[in-house]
Amino acid sequence: MMDSDFDYEIENQDFSAIGKRGIWRIDGREKASGSAIYTADIKLPGMLYARVFNSPYPHAGIKSMDTSKVEAFPGVRAVLRSDDPEIKDKVVPGSYGAPWYVLPDWAMWEGEPIGLVVAADSEQICDEALKLVEIDWDIRPFITDIEDAQKPGAPELHNKVPNDIYDAVNENNPYASAFSELFRIAEGHRTFEQGSVKKGFAEADKIIEFKARRRMHTWAQPEIPSAICRWNGGYPEIWVKHQHAYEHKQVMPVWFDVPMNKVTLHVPYQGAMFGGWNWMNWSTVIHYISALLSKRTGKPVKLCFNRRDDFYGGALDCGTYEFKVGAKKDGTITAVAIKSDYVNGPTAAEANTGIYHFIENSRIPNLFKENNSVVVNRGPVTAVRCEQLANTLCFNMVFSHVAAELGLDPTEVALKNDGYDGEDSEYLTECKKRFGKPQRDSLRECIEAGKKAIDWDNKWHTPGTRKLPNGKMHGIGFVWTHEWNSKRGAGTVGVLFEPDGSVSLMAQRADTGLCAETAYCQIAADELGMRYEDVFLNSHKDSGFAMMTPDGSCNLCTNGWVIRRACRKAKRKLLEFAALGYQEEFHSYPPAFEGCGPEDLDVKDSVIFVKANPAISKTVKEVVKEVMCVQWWKHPQIYDWSWKQTGAHVDPTGEASEELIDPNKRPHFCRQAHFMEVEVDPETGEIEVTNVVCVNDVGKAINPEGVQGQQYGGVYMAVGRGKHEEVILDEPTGVMLNGNLLDYKITTILDCGPIDPIIVETAMGYGPYGANGIGENVADLTSTLLGPAVYNALGVAVDDFPITPAKILKALGKI
Amino acid sequence: MAVAAKPGYSCPYCATSFNTVDDLKDHVLKVHGTEALPRPEGYVKLTVNGQAWELEVAPNWTLFYLLHDQLGYTGAKTFCDRGACGSCTVIIDGRPVLSCMTLAIECDGKNIETAEGIAAAKHPLIEAYVKHHAMQCGYCTPGFVVTAKALLDRNPDPTVEEIKEALAGNLCRCGTYPQHPIAIIEAAKKVLAARSENTPA
Repeated sequence: MMDSDFDYEIENQDFSAIGKRGIWRIDGREKASGSAIYTADIKLPGMLYARVFNSPYPHAGIKSMDTSKVEAFPGVRAVLRSDDPEIKDKVVPGSYGAPWYVLPDWAMWEGEPIGLVVAADSEQICDEALKLVEIDWDIRPFITDIEDAQKPGAPELHNKVPNDIYDAVNENNPYASAFSELFRIAEGHRTFEQGSVKKGFAEADKIIEFKARRRMHTWAQPEIPSAICRWNGGYPEIWVKHQHAYEHKQVMPVWFDVPMNKVTLHVPYQGAMFGGWNWMNWSTVIHYISALLSKRTGKPVKLCFNRRDDFYGGALDCGTYEFKVGAKKDGTITAVAIKSDYVNGPTAAEANTGIYHFIENSRIPNLFKENNSVVVNRGPVTAVRCEQLANTLCFNMVFSHVAAELGLDPTEVALKNDGYDGEDSEYLTECKKRFGKPQRDSLRECIEAGKKAIDWDNKWHTPGTRKLPNGKMHGIGFVWTHEWNSKRGAGTVGVLFEPDGSVSLMAQRADTGLCAETAYCQIAADELGMRYEDVFLNSHKDSGFAMMTPDGSCNLCTNGWVIRRACRKAKRKLLEFAALGYQEEFHSYPPAFEGCGPEDLDVKDSVIFVKANPAISKTVKEVVKEVMCVQWWKHPQIYDWSWKQTGAHVDPTGEASEELIDPNKRPHFCRQAHFMEVEVDPETGEIEVTNVVCVNDVGKAINPEGVQGQQYGGVYMAVGRGKHEEVILDEPTGVMLNGNLLDYKITTILDCGPIDPIIVETAMGYGPYGANGIGENVADLTSTLLGPAVYNALGVAVDDFPITPAKILKALGKI
Repeated sequence: MAVAAKPGYSCPYCATSFNTVDDLKDHVLKVHGTEALPRPEGYVKLTVNGQAWELEVAPNWTLFYLLHDQLGYTGAKTFCDRGACGSCTVIIDGRPVLSCMTLAIECDGKNIETAEGIAAAKHPLIEAYVKHHAMQCGYCTPGFVVTAKALLDRNPDPTVEEIKEALAGNLCRCGTYPQHPIAIIEAAKKVLAARSENTPA
């Protein structure tokens, strides 16, 4: 039996706050005026600052270490060594349960935090003191390039945390998650096949083969990470700069045998992460160090990283790719085979990475993927907005090369191959019916909207043929895929009517800036019948409840359901109270609406009214005002709560098969399409992105400005990734050369032309009201959009990202 | 043998003695033409958002450290840590300046404005920034607001291109860039309208 609180409810959408423009973001004033507090801003009385030593070598171990001068340095209050009996060789659960060393004594990349931690009166004292450590090094051979690493005679590198230790820690961690395996530095080899690529190649009119490469790029989060702990006797408080904030409370009993009910978690505003840092195994483990040092010193301790520290790591698509594609003359793709070698490749832990979007989005029946993980002496790679980067790279590369080789309009090639798991669009339509969804052709709608906005029919041309009056070559490119949605996540929220008639949503989570908390308040306002301004979610405070983290673009599709259901339950309680009052043996409170049943009442604009005669009304404030006055408590509080794990999905018709209800097997119905215009200077190789159109079928836009923020915001990140973002190491030494924001270029306001963010709403998503997620997909998908745009400009493919001027000139044979 | 202190107050410049502090102050001002007493090393007087501060600063303190860590103006943020991002921007005597690249000790006599001051003065930029979602994580936002305020102070009616040029030194990793010119132009119009209302015909 279906629970009506989990109905998609895509028809009755007469809302006051949901979907409206001009909603005041709940975090806006604080952020604009500088009063929003981030973990980096926190300073506590008597606070000590701690810094970790960074390995100067890309592959080396500490044979012995003399820290006496460090300890004697004025202002140093504590030194924690990797051979300290409490932490020696200790591996603990880190981010998402992934086991990691508290403080290893050997380094796998230059800059790795190892050896010792200093706590002192200032960060500067820490840095000065750390220079005084004397270390006898075991310097080992290293390799930083993925291609060199596969040549004979290359140094042999292994997993950072050995399998037996890794498994033992995981076994003893009640919060170990399936994700931990995905983000470790480990060797691996997996293959995936669906259908028969041999058969598919035989059926093809043309076989297309090419290679691509993605160099390491990273997250460059605005707020530099730090970890604060104040032990407070037996009642520790922690301040967390992390997307998975609640995990830090969960691991405290595992780490220190302190019960969770004695731990207070603070989650201040978060200066964005884009996954990245917070998937690094030690991003959680650093809290172990700050807690241990706080316990030992009796002072609050803030473990600080610096800007350079934050550059050690990269995204999951970093690696090399070899493609073989079979296609018919009309653009029908018959087979795709891809082999990928990934740097430090957790991506290889999933066999279908790289081929996944062909399964999710296309009718291509024959697919093959080989994934190899190659360990090199670079920082770990992880999900950086997001784990789909390798998938979107492969999908974009295949579709743009097929269209190019066959001389076809790429939008037509997309429409010809749209489908799901080897099945065509008709199968998708059947699925939409079975799920009670509108039967709209999302890809066609997105393409049509985008083509019109960018004037595709007049601008798309034969590659390499349109020279502009300024001497530059004009190019236009197109990419597409499905929308991101609710594959994972769980959340809990409480809804409480305060005695002044305002409503508190109670759930802690990290606000990374996606306008999510505002969207949740919009949902709550409409579901409760309250005015938007009467509802508030303080996501920073430790309320005991925790909502889904900002991960996987799954927040809205988890938390939206949770809030909707909790609000519906709380509203029912409010109306029961208004109609029936409160009676107990020794105490009673009269109903606000005598002679009515709860079903006779409703709420709108924070006013309860009789449905049959709306003139009879009382404000919510009037009804609940005596709900709780301490010492004069007249009746109980009115509140409720709800919980949901995304995955157990709704089937409004009751006819869908189990297979379709499984979030990992159900089809994506919504699509997105993006278009980019560039001007390429054939003399200098400089690329200018002059115009971008993003079309996203988000199902239902709860907060349209928030959606558009993810569209244009994603494009800016993607333009940087496409054009210039690369972490560069010095080959002879393995030392990072550009670990700062002067030399690692992120996009500025001048680096991209106008962006037109177009929203399509088909209500075919799996979130409440038919919504989808939007946080990651544009940044992901458009990271390689520069490739087809540059190809259209030059008629020569440059498949090595970032596409720098030097690569353009090389492709043109000029250097 | 201990020498008994001479009663009264001795001038640090010429050693003349006075019976009261006020007499000594008058003397120093008149005769030596300088402040009443020698300043301790690192002494600065500055104004932040209209409030006067008299402080002793260490020679290695940046203005960012003074404002953010010592005085609690958290609107200035560290993003890049080396003058590459604009998140620590404050206005000094009308000019946008990177507080992480400015020594506090150099700011004696300066008039400083931060995002908090701009908000407290109810500058229309704040409302425009909220209304037009010219922020996401918000970490860099106060730096943009300060840069925008400095721009409007010197150019009350900027074009989109002038705004982009002014903001080219402010990094936003969330990519909120398209919203800033929209918000700034709206705020500029409000400032201009308020000025014309206050100007007698």
